[in-house]
Amino acid sequence: MSTPVVTKPAPDAATVARPTVGQRLTAFMPVIALVVLLAALTVADPSFLTQSSLTAVVRTAAPLVVLAAGATLVVLCGGIDLSIAALCSLGTVLFAMWLPDLGGLTLLAVVAATGAIGALQGLAHVFLRIPSFIVTLGGMSIFGAVALVISDAGPIRVVDREATHWLTLYLAGVLPMAFVVALLVVAVVWTVQRFTPLDSWIRATGYSESAARLASAPVDRVKVAAFTVSGACAGLAAVMLVSRNFSGSPTMADNLLLPAVAAIVVGGTAITGGHGSLWRSLAGALVVTLLRVGLPIVGVPSAYEQILYGAIIVAAVALTLDRSKLLIIK
Amino acid sequence: MSFRDTGPLIALVVIVGIFAALSPGFRTLSNAQNIMDAAAVLAVVTCGVTFVLMMGSIDLSTPGIMGASAITVALLVANNRNDNELGLLGVALAILVAAGLGCLSGLALVLLKVPSFMTTLGVSAVGLGVATLLFAGVQPNISDGTLSGWAVDRFLGLSTLTWIAVACVLVGWMVQRYTRLGRYAFAIGGAEEVLALSGVNVKPYKVAVFTMAGAFYGLGGVMVTSQLGAGLVQAGRGYDFSAITAAVVGGTLLAGGRGGVLHSTVGVLLVTVLTNGLVLVGVSPYWQGGVQGLIVVAAVAAAVIPQRRRNQVTK
Amino acid sequence: MNMQIEPEQRATAPVTALEVRGLVKHYPGVKALDGVDLVVRQHEVVGLAGENGAGKSTLLKALVGLVRPDDGEIWVRGEKVRLRSVVDAADHGIGMVFQEQSLVPNLTVAENIVLGSEGLGVRRGVYRWDAMRRLAQEQLDKIGSRIDPLARTDTLTFADRQMVEIAKVLRIEERTSHPPVIILDEPTSVLESKEIDALFTQVRRLREFASVVFVSHRLDEVLDVCDRVAVLRGGQSVGELPTADAAPDQLHRMMIGSTGSDDHYHGAAVEPPAEPREPRLVVRGLCGRTFRDVDLDVHAGEIVGIVGVHGSGREDVCRALFGAEPTTAGEVTLDGEELDLSGTRAACAAGVGYVPAERKTEGMVGPMSVADNMTLTKQEARCSGPLVRPRKQAKLVDTWIQRLSIRTPHRGTPIQRLSGGNQQKVVLARWLVSGDVRLLLLDHPTRGLDIGARSEVYRLMRELASSGVATVLLADSLEEAIGMSDRIVVMNDGRATTEVDAPVGDKPTPLDLVKEMV
Repeated sequence: MSTPVVTKPAPDAATVARPTVGQRLTAFMPVIALVVLLAALTVADPSFLTQSSLTAVVRTAAPLVVLAAGATLVVLCGGIDLSIAALCSLGTVLFAMWLPDLGGLTLLAVVAATGAIGALQGLAHVFLRIPSFIVTLGGMSIFGAVALVISDAGPIRVVDREATHWLTLYLAGVLPMAFVVALLVVAVVWTVQRFTPLDSWIRATGYSESAARLASAPVDRVKVAAFTVSGACAGLAAVMLVSRNFSGSPTMADNLLLPAVAAIVVGGTAITGGHGSLWRSLAGALVVTLLRVGLPIVGVPSAYEQILYGAIIVAAVALTLDRSKLLIIK
Repeated sequence: MSFRDTGPLIALVVIVGIFAALSPGFRTLSNAQNIMDAAAVLAVVTCGVTFVLMMGSIDLSTPGIMGASAITVALLVANNRNDNELGLLGVALAILVAAGLGCLSGLALVLLKVPSFMTTLGVSAVGLGVATLLFAGVQPNISDGTLSGWAVDRFLGLSTLTWIAVACVLVGWMVQRYTRLGRYAFAIGGAEEVLALSGVNVKPYKVAVFTMAGAFYGLGGVMVTSQLGAGLVQAGRGYDFSAITAAVVGGTLLAGGRGGVLHSTVGVLLVTVLTNGLVLVGVSPYWQGGVQGLIVVAAVAAAVIPQRRRNQVTK
Repeated sequence: MNMQIEPEQRATAPVTALEVRGLVKHYPGVKALDGVDLVVRQHEVVGLAGENGAGKSTLLKALVGLVRPDDGEIWVRGEKVRLRSVVDAADHGIGMVFQEQSLVPNLTVAENIVLGSEGLGVRRGVYRWDAMRRLAQEQLDKIGSRIDPLARTDTLTFADRQMVEIAKVLRIEERTSHPPVIILDEPTSVLESKEIDALFTQVRRLREFASVVFVSHRLDEVLDVCDRVAVLRGGQSVGELPTADAAPDQLHRMMIGSTGSDDHYHGAAVEPPAEPREPRLVVRGLCGRTFRDVDLDVHAGEIVGIVGVHGSGREDVCRALFGAEPTTAGEVTLDGEELDLSGTRAACAAGVGYVPAERKTEGMVGPMSVADNMTLTKQEARCSGPLVRPRKQAKLVDTWIQRLSIRTPHRGTPIQRLSGGNQQKVVLARWLVSGDVRLLLLDHPTRGLDIGARSEVYRLMRELASSGVATVLLADSLEEAIGMSDRIVVMNDGRATTEVDAPVGDKPTPLDLVKEMV
């Protein structure tokens, strides 16, 4: 049966107004939030703004940055990847299990495996035409189960600490290596995106999938690629977690899903697709980490952390949403 | 009755048949009781999710809302943390808190125009946060006789919790069939724009549906507390996905406008029988989530195939 | 009020139920309504005729409060009204049966009929199914329908659903004490002839207690069922005819206008293609969801127009040739090689280009820049190897901005800030930047453009044709099809029924085509 479109008057505005002050502000939202947070924390605790605590913040933020950066690509294409945290947990288990056999190659093996799993989700989304949030919600459940089964539901200790030792080093004595790697990931993915047609294709897919398809952009391949990168990033984040905790566990990263989604939307990447970038998610991840670290400093019990995430996600999405695309919001 | 309506029921019968053939332990009366009892909480939660899905929205707030209500009820009835002894009033208050959280999802959806999967993800976090705050590091164990009795006392072979679930399904079905709220929820999933064209303001109904769903999750959280004898922040862990799986497998369309409480209940039984049967034939219980993940993807894919068009936009 | 003299009035001069005076509605680039007048009297069936884009649908939407006119007045029974919503319109006794049916498919017939004003059917939020069925039955009885009120709406046939919709609209009788005005928008477009007869019986029945505005592109029907026909053209009222002494030809002429004024299309039409060669595009027996056994030849350098009414399937043929609509049978070759119709990528690689009708949603990516939109398809034109060369892109884009005289502040400006005509030129340029397009499929390329922008698009089409591109054109109007095409294929109910040559100097008239179309 046909669905009428009569409620929608012909869209006005051949010339769209220039960005309003509010839009300009949201464009710089993550940076403003970062500065405001830093300032507020410094006021609350003048000893906060020291090199050592800042180093600690970026070190904590590293896995979150990688996780959020990968998923940002999926969001830019107009989808969502809810499986990143579960996949990351699975990655920690895989790493811990494979390390004794594969040694130095384990990192590559884990990233390749999680990348392949991500690709599989992308293929399911594209070819079975299942909404991405259902595919990845299903994925989340499946990966969690696989991780539980292969690890026998317990943490796996990593004895060989040499393999991940380099991630715990500091560059120039101040920059944690893990954070440098995270920066590198963002920079590399951004560079590849920026200097190839991928950027056009991704944004066209996110802004208007049907227009992209009718312009014969490789929409399906771009989406699968985005899910692949998202998966691979989850694997890399897993290795970072293992390097910090010296073990792999089937639920180790599960509580990173909300912060990662929060990082993406706080960065100002629109959940409707098209608008945003990986750098924004980097800033978003730093904001989220600062919040987490800063709450106890200003005397707020860390239990409020979750509530804050929830509020942040809803507020940030509300601010960045491209409403012209959603006539009916489900 | 189309295949879409009877399919899940046939699948249920087939699966029961297969497990009955494979495992002697499955064919016992006590196992049937087990299955019914194990399905109780999921059935109640799924009642709530079904109304949301019927509108074409999605609800991921279950774990948070259940956690909040589980801790709330544990702190309001007789427990080891404080001197409260509100009994059933405590249960009602916990459900009220849960309904309030559900209402929050709905309000964020219609007022801020944020898609439901994001608002409910946010509300889930809020619920977990509230639960963590109330939990305050010390687990509240309940000593209220009525509440802990729910999980143990049996009537006609089924526990009180199961009877509560049956009552919920009935209430849910009545709401769906005989109230404007239920019918409009159904219609919103069918053709929301037509409702607006007919002069119906759908916003209050959307908020009401999320509120009602919250109340169902709240009851679910109370039931989990009764089962565990204590209030846990993680009381609702995994129930969001299990409930969506049950509803989808039962024939409720993710796009909305199809299915209903009875469909979902068949889905709940399907999921529970599958879980129970697999364990009895020797599959690790850890696979439970994996099996659910696979069947939800398969069920959605099967539902989508007849409607596939070229150039269709899937987000 | 003066209740005594009312019957007398009705006997002498019929009461004016609805009057529209000088209605104006602008959309960016187009005047959809440009001073429309319309009078509907009580117990009268008024036909509304006009070509696509004449302003019919905008007028109807204004009458039910879905469009707010920029200027002009709507009077209902001598009272000036402002209609803000469908409910508002219903309160004034105006209701519409929408072309795309507006029923909730998964509710029962009864619920759909009373939707939004359930009255006794719902008490304190609880359904009284009995009462609801009675309410619905009352409505169905009014039109003598035997549809079961408790049937699910999506189990009914299209014709039955239309009856439900009429029954639903008649609920507005309860909101006003006067006979209502019922608008039927293209009610016959998907009906079989038997169903059409039943519908006409309904319309005549409606006249007993209501006024009817009847819109259809089938003029014989309009003449058959209406008392009077009002004709719109280009957003203006061009007159009305009593149907008693009107012939379809006469109506056609009013709808189309004097053909002499459209000479500017003909004057600059392309040279006829050189001596006949193998056609570039050969389509044989193409079948799809909405079309069957379509044959089509297009030579290099030729513009072939496909004309047909709404529902003729021509848009889908066009999309199928671009791989954007599935086909079930048929052979398509391009320059002798089989054309892969499996997807848009394959078609594009083979040298097929497509400009969609819905520019804003399908043609362009609004927030992206002019440059990125222009190079979206032919990425190789701005790349060296896998890398995008910003300078190469800038040069290329600036060249095309100049060649097509696209007015944009900068190549980096988001395309949504350009005017419609310039947007369309960017979309067209997308297929030209690499210079390898062999077949262009243009689906309403001038939709929503003003006269100036139109003629620029025409000029561009002619240039492309003379450079050897084969073009399939789904024109916005018949004049456009006639003026631009070398040959015109008429499609009717999913089949290509007639082919008319349209060489310069021997163009068919719109009337010739219309006869073939309906």
